[in-house]
Amino acid sequence: MLLEPREFRLLDGLRLNPRKSFGGKVRGERLTKKKGVSIEFADYREYAEGDDLRHLDWNVLARLDSPVMRTYRDEEDLALYILLDASASMGFGEPTKFDSASRLACAVGYVGLGGGDAVVPRILGKREPNHSTLRGRASYPRLVGWATQPRDLEMAKDGLSTSIRSFAGSSTRAGIALLISDGLDPDISSAIRILGGRGHEVLFLQVLSDVEIDPDLEGDLRLLDSESGRPIEITANSFALKEYRRRLQDHNQSIVESIRRVGGRHAIVNPSQTLEDVLQNVFRREGWVR
Amino acid sequence: MSIQNPAVLMWFLPLAGAILLLYILKMKRRDLRVPATFLWPERVEEIRANALFQRLRPTWLMFLQLLALLLVVVALAKPQTKQSGLAGEVTVFVIDTSASMAATDVQPSRFGEAKRLALEGIRSAKPTDRIAIIEAGATPRVISPLSSDPAREAAALDTLQATDAEADVGEAMRLAAALVGSIDGARIVLLSDGDFDRITNFSRGKAAVVYRSVGERDDNLSINALGASDTSTGRQLFCGIKNHGSRPLAGVLNLYADGKIVDSIQTPKIGPSGLWGRTIGAPAGATVFEAKLEAPDYLKSDNYAVAIADPNASLRVLLVTKGNLFLERALSLDPRVTLDKSTEVPSTELAGRGTGAYDVVVFDGIAEQAVKARGVLTFGAAGPISPVTATGTASKPKFVSEEKRPLLDSVDLQSVFIDRQQSVSLKPTGEAIAQTSAGPLVVTAQDQSKRQIYVGFQPLDSDFPLQVGFPIFIANALDFLTGGTTSTTLAVKAGQPFTLPVTTNAKLTTPSGEQIQVKTTGSALTIREVKQVGQYTLEAGGKRQKIYSFLRSERASTIRPEKNLDLGGGVVKTSQSPSRFADFWRPLALLALLVLGAEWWMFARKS
Repeated sequence: MLLEPREFRLLDGLRLNPRKSFGGKVRGERLTKKKGVSIEFADYREYAEGDDLRHLDWNVLARLDSPVMRTYRDEEDLALYILLDASASMGFGEPTKFDSASRLACAVGYVGLGGGDAVVPRILGKREPNHSTLRGRASYPRLVGWATQPRDLEMAKDGLSTSIRSFAGSSTRAGIALLISDGLDPDISSAIRILGGRGHEVLFLQVLSDVEIDPDLEGDLRLLDSESGRPIEITANSFALKEYRRRLQDHNQSIVESIRRVGGRHAIVNPSQTLEDVLQNVFRREGWVR
Repeated sequence: MSIQNPAVLMWFLPLAGAILLLYILKMKRRDLRVPATFLWPERVEEIRANALFQRLRPTWLMFLQLLALLLVVVALAKPQTKQSGLAGEVTVFVIDTSASMAATDVQPSRFGEAKRLALEGIRSAKPTDRIAIIEAGATPRVISPLSSDPAREAAALDTLQATDAEADVGEAMRLAAALVGSIDGARIVLLSDGDFDRITNFSRGKAAVVYRSVGERDDNLSINALGASDTSTGRQLFCGIKNHGSRPLAGVLNLYADGKIVDSIQTPKIGPSGLWGRTIGAPAGATVFEAKLEAPDYLKSDNYAVAIADPNASLRVLLVTKGNLFLERALSLDPRVTLDKSTEVPSTELAGRGTGAYDVVVFDGIAEQAVKARGVLTFGAAGPISPVTATGTASKPKFVSEEKRPLLDSVDLQSVFIDRQQSVSLKPTGEAIAQTSAGPLVVTAQDQSKRQIYVGFQPLDSDFPLQVGFPIFIANALDFLTGGTTSTTLAVKAGQPFTLPVTTNAKLTTPSGEQIQVKTTGSALTIREVKQVGQYTLEAGGKRQKIYSFLRSERASTIRPEKNLDLGGGVVKTSQSPSRFADFWRPLALLALLVLGAEWWMFARKS
């Protein structure tokens, strides 16, 4: 089931904490901007004929002799889109970045399912039929089944940014878009801005292994891109490594800047990090969950 | 700049080509799959190559390697730079300390200038240069052997002092050639005014001779004659002055008798090479006559002369010989002796009327003749008036006995090997004081007017001249022949070593008041320290002896600086700034090492 029993206990009781408020399709546990039925007071309005007298504010009527209706915020479900990067670059690291990303997807999905949210799993970088929306904890095994489904990462043909653009272009209602990826695509920043521009709240868990953060290369090499296969020739010396680190930092900074502009959140995790560590240092500390 | 081995430069092209070829060879790179390549800089530093071929990409490493190769090749070609300076890689400074070098036409003196030049050469020498210093004095000597220690050389140079003696520059040059003549590129630097006798028998070997002339002017007057003689009108003192310069000069001549001034004479202007003389009556009873000249010339040491009237203070000796250097030297060692040589006795000296010019006549292998001299020393050839009569010749006689007489003091005849001895029979006038198996070996005879010594063999028929007792025997013989009286006053030529029969150590006080200890050999005292003109005092065994030193030399008084020198093998011109070729490969090799070090550092950083 991907997660340990101890980890389930850590996740139980947690709820996703979006900054935005999203409209739902079915009644759920999330307050929306729409007026509806809940215990959360929203506003006053003039009484109109046919209104439910249970919501008439009798105290105001007694004082002002004017009928005023109390309105309440509606509670609907929240759409949680889990965008799991299955491109070839996710096959690196020990454990692989994809394995780590799958566990994180299941963990966040479990939280969403537990909060009554609509969890929509999507694979990026590889064309797969869209998975149905999952609701309720009973759907968790299906989520795990989706996450652990055997995939040949080498066969991923679509680029990460292309997949994100494709998702953003689909007619989906706005929700939380949890992007779990290494972000190793030169156009990732613009894709994120497009995704945010569609009304999604973008949460980006960037999974980077030591292979990317501190590559241990030496000598004269011909590097082959895992996704495009494009080769470049380098002499891996101190100058080249220094330049690589600078570029990676610039790339990540560009991602952070894009996320900030669309009101999203960003965190870098290492595949070797435990779920407990991610929960503590990212989800809780950064307020991703409550 | 010159290059000794230019052919090596041709190596650069093929070697540089080989280096460039390594850069043209294409590198075979290792394939490596990475998550993404867009973050990697396409940075290629080709520092190795193992496949064919690619376009040449210039890199700093390549340029540094080519530069290092160029430096190494140029260093191997042995470039040389031309530098000026007296010192070369191996240099011997021969510094003339003769009397003429005391001339003050350059400040402080010619000798001072020569020392300054030598010191300048020492200071400008490179650390690897080797320098030696030779004093070209009366007896040349090495005062600093070949070394690369400038402090030691400067200290040795500092001890060098000018003398009023004549110098044997030829011997000094031969000594220098013996020191460095076999070394390629060696240099003999002669610092002198060139005023010395022509040098013969000199071979420079592989060394180059550099002559640096010091001195500019030649103005000099000298006292070239001073003598006292008894005439019918009493004792007369004659003094002569010569102008050795090219300009007329005048001076004031002061004459002293036993230290008291007796006359002061203003001389007229004496023309170039001109002579002027004056005779005055000398005080009766005076024995030491001195002349001092005050003149505006550049050499002061020849402005002094001394004459001693004591008959025992000087001896005129005639050596009648076919050639005997040992005997000549032994006689010259006595400070009283003025020696003349001849192969036969001049007729004026044969016994007859009047007085002879010589006090002693020495017959060396030539039959003794009757002479006017008061003393006769005969070696191996008895004559009719000898105290012995020749009877034949004996080979390799054995020593028998000797008497203990002053004549044989400190002389060991027993150890002398005699190849051939004249067999003689003793006359009644003779007294044998040494005997061999062949008969009398040493015989003396004396009467009121004459003393004789007969020695039964010729010095060259024995090893006697090679023994230390030989000069002592000659000194003893002169004492015996002159009656055994010695004068308390001596006049010697400055720089001339001499021997006195003194058995104790002595103290010599110089004209400047400096005191020098002189050690005796047990029987004689050899004095080499009388190098300055003036009055010395020798104290030995409670006795004081005055020694007057003078310079009377036509050659030394001619102080005109010589610009060209005839060194036997050719003429050497004076050189103001001789040049040398210095190897330049060491800095290039060092630079090549530095470039290679930089190349390695760059290579290590890039890889």
